[in-house]
Amino acid sequence: MATKNFNAFEMAQAQFDKVAAQLELDTATRNLLRQPLREYHFSIPVHMDDGSYSVFRGFRVQHNDARGPGKGGIRFHPQETVDTVKALAMWMTWKCSVVDIPLGGSKGGVICDPHNLSLREQEQLCRGWVRQLSKDVGPLRDVPAPDVMTNAQHMLWMLDEFEAINGAKYPGLITGKPIGMGGSLGRTEATGYGVIFTVREALKEHNIKPENTVAAVQGFGNVAQYAIELFEHIGGKVICVSCWDQEDQISYTFKKKDGIDLKTLLGITDRFGGINKIKAKDLGYEVLPGDKWIEQEVDILLPCALENQVTADTVTKIKPSVKFIAEGANGPTTPEADKVIQEKNIFIIPDFLANAGGVTCSYFEQVQSNMNYYWEKDEVLSRLDEKMTSAYLKVSELARQRKLYMRDAAYVIAIKRVAQACKDRGWV
Amino acid sequence: MKNPKQNRIELSSLKSFNRKFFDGEEDFTYVGDGSLGGKAQGLAFATHLLKNNISENEFPGVVINIPKMVVLTTSCFDNFMRLNKLYDIAYSNEPDNIIAYKFQEGSLPVDLIGDLRALIAKVNTPLAVRSSSLLEDAMYEPFAGIYGTKMIPNNQPDTTTRFRKLTEAIKFVYASTFFKEAKDYIKATKNRIKDEKMAVIIQEIVGFRYDDRFYPTISGVARSYNFYPMGFAKPEEGVVDLALGLGKTIVDGGVSWTFSPSRPKSKPPFANVKDMIELTQNKYWVVNMGKPPAYDPIKETEYMFEADLTDAEYDGTLKFIASTYDAASDRVKPGIGYPGPRIINFSQILEFNIFPLNKIVKKVLDTCEEAVGTAVEIEFAITLDKNDCKPVRFGFLQVRPMVVSDEKVEIEQEDLSPEKILLSSKYVLGNGTVDTITDIVYVKPEVFEAKYSPEIAIEIEKINKSLIDNNKKYLLIGFGRWGSSDPWLGIPVNWGQISGARVIVESMFSGMNVELSQGSHFFHNITSFRVLYFSVPAGEQNNIDWNWLKTNNTVRQTELKFIKHIELNKPLSVKVDGRKGLGVIFK
Repeated sequence: MATKNFNAFEMAQAQFDKVAAQLELDTATRNLLRQPLREYHFSIPVHMDDGSYSVFRGFRVQHNDARGPGKGGIRFHPQETVDTVKALAMWMTWKCSVVDIPLGGSKGGVICDPHNLSLREQEQLCRGWVRQLSKDVGPLRDVPAPDVMTNAQHMLWMLDEFEAINGAKYPGLITGKPIGMGGSLGRTEATGYGVIFTVREALKEHNIKPENTVAAVQGFGNVAQYAIELFEHIGGKVICVSCWDQEDQISYTFKKKDGIDLKTLLGITDRFGGINKIKAKDLGYEVLPGDKWIEQEVDILLPCALENQVTADTVTKIKPSVKFIAEGANGPTTPEADKVIQEKNIFIIPDFLANAGGVTCSYFEQVQSNMNYYWEKDEVLSRLDEKMTSAYLKVSELARQRKLYMRDAAYVIAIKRVAQACKDRGWV
Repeated sequence: MKNPKQNRIELSSLKSFNRKFFDGEEDFTYVGDGSLGGKAQGLAFATHLLKNNISENEFPGVVINIPKMVVLTTSCFDNFMRLNKLYDIAYSNEPDNIIAYKFQEGSLPVDLIGDLRALIAKVNTPLAVRSSSLLEDAMYEPFAGIYGTKMIPNNQPDTTTRFRKLTEAIKFVYASTFFKEAKDYIKATKNRIKDEKMAVIIQEIVGFRYDDRFYPTISGVARSYNFYPMGFAKPEEGVVDLALGLGKTIVDGGVSWTFSPSRPKSKPPFANVKDMIELTQNKYWVVNMGKPPAYDPIKETEYMFEADLTDAEYDGTLKFIASTYDAASDRVKPGIGYPGPRIINFSQILEFNIFPLNKIVKKVLDTCEEAVGTAVEIEFAITLDKNDCKPVRFGFLQVRPMVVSDEKVEIEQEDLSPEKILLSSKYVLGNGTVDTITDIVYVKPEVFEAKYSPEIAIEIEKINKSLIDNNKKYLLIGFGRWGSSDPWLGIPVNWGQISGARVIVESMFSGMNVELSQGSHFFHNITSFRVLYFSVPAGEQNNIDWNWLKTNNTVRQTELKFIKHIELNKPLSVKVDGRKGLGVIFK
């Protein structure tokens, strides 16, 4: 979430400006791409359970759709700002472009705290959001998905409202739907697995066997869990994870030198994704402060939680043993920290490449929904592997050829593709 | 015999799959970090052998190599089983088709499917998906024909379909690990099915496409030791079986052309030309490249069918391997330049040497035998281009050690008096002495008819199971060729149904004109388990003392409709002199 003194959109624009200069983009293209194409700000009145009415503020930002319909999640969060949403929409454009899927970038949000809303109230909110935007989203225009504090149920309400308004079935309107109701197999695993597909390729390129590597993971949500699962599957060892403790309202790091046991930890995890400290201690885990994950003597760091976590302060704590960082979360590294990582010669797999597995699988879901024909899990995950691997190889090849930092190489590829699409359409 | 361990190729000395197949430099790559399994281990070793022992110029105009292959090591199997929670169904007594369907429902591990998709995206030619079991590796003994192999045409235009067919084939091979035959077989080896794991070989099929058919011009199995020497041939000279089309014809015991590598021009002993026409190959197996067959992912031959010789003539493949019967002169003329029935006798190759097949086979056999340190059996496939534009290709498919006992057994003539013996034969397989058998299972001659042979197979399976459960080896006596795929030629058992037999007798009825040989898989299991195998030709049934079997005092006996099991109060003595091909069972 956005913190004081941190403006995600300014950061996204700064990143874009740097690459636009490298690509020598013309002024018109720069002006077009550093701002969203469209922004929708609207109010959603909800009849609350206690009989009162509340009005929530909602957004949808469509950054660029030159390469295809917009794609991006809907966030429900009390501290949501339009700048965060704008930044995330821009990152979605680059993310879809870097993995070469024919979609643009969008993002949406509602300022609200779902913890304080009943399911009926949440349903009203979802239906209200769609009513405001039913003309501006759709399978061929802009395809929403779950994001922070929204889930498959929210998507289904939104889909239902959209179909009621339009008088037909449009399963391709939205992704992240439940399996059997238009959802895709493999979607749950996709982001975490995608992170590790790129890590696997990076290790191959550096002639390092996964079984000789150790990783520390920030986060224990969906992305982290599946990343750990696949990383262990290919032979790697994870020695610590950090997670948020809902009761204490702070995060903790759980460490076991011999390697964590994912299954056991999942068995003592609450519904918010917090690991039970007492039980973990009994199982021989060290319970450390939440930021200790970054200080571990490991080969690979996998920040898979929130944005803005590897900062100018924390980056100095990274041990010299660390050779790779794969950003499972969106925007976990600040520009200042990024410079230090580059100086330390740590190989980074940037967020919008590393965690693009989620949107890639969402794209697969949309394709399946539009066809109303659903693939087997093998089919979905093998296509995901193919997309992620090929995206990674293109970025790393460019980085090698032009001696670019991986993040810059990924941006160069992504922005170039979008800029070209805008040019080809005759926009600029 | 050398310790086979010396020949092991470690995973670390091989290259892992780099998502290239035909484009890659390596012929042999792997995925995962488990075991290669027995078959793949043999092929890794053969790759190494061929590279180091046969130079490219040794046989001009002939390319000798191992077809490109990727091995999914046993770790992929472990992950598949665990991920889909398949162990319960796998170890259950559910029928094969239920197990196969449950396996088809499973998902392959995520770290494997990306590689498979990358492979299939680049490869459009037919593939063989073959089993390579951990236990056969651990025992240094191949389990020939026990597990599934699936050929896929892989010619569908879209990657998605090809990918799905490949994954179905892999899951079929995984499921075949737990089919009934495999479970029975494992039991007979004193291993536990729980210890078995399966690697899978994905290998290009050697062959050319002709219309809807894809097949090699020639498939062959060669053994450096011949258990059935004919005429002047000696066991040490070895033996070669050749057939048109895929090797299934030979390994399943179909009709093939047999010769000694030392005497390639000697013909098999057919009584007359009519016999030769009738008893040589007239059908051959191919991969179906045409109209998709009915969807049946759990059928091993889903994409295979048997074609007729007329198809092969149309394809232009007969010109290298067939001769023609000329009725006017009652002679067989080499080639197909004349009208008349075609006979697959490989005369252009074996007599006129259009390419040095025999030399290559001998060289490969010698090389493998020396490296393995014991007699070996190899499988190969050959393509000859009908337009003579491409070099001849000799694709090496398999090498297995053979079990040849060197125990010296002497059988004196005076031992063979009818009062002392239950039976004797001059057509015997194996070598050695067995004097621990007290159980005899035999097909009752008074009720036997070929039409009942499938029912007989089921009865034998029951008794075999109970004897295995009681840890007892037995003598099995029956009619026709054991393990025949044609119930009219013999009792169509698979190996698992008679896996407890230590001595097997096949007695020929008149009218059952069956050659004394088995499919190479069945044959290999006979030799690997050191089963002593007696053939009693038609007209010599009296050599078996049926009366003694009926009237002998037994400890206990079980009588079914077609089968009788008797338990003797003292063991039989069985002697086989492999050198002379003479065997006798003393009462």
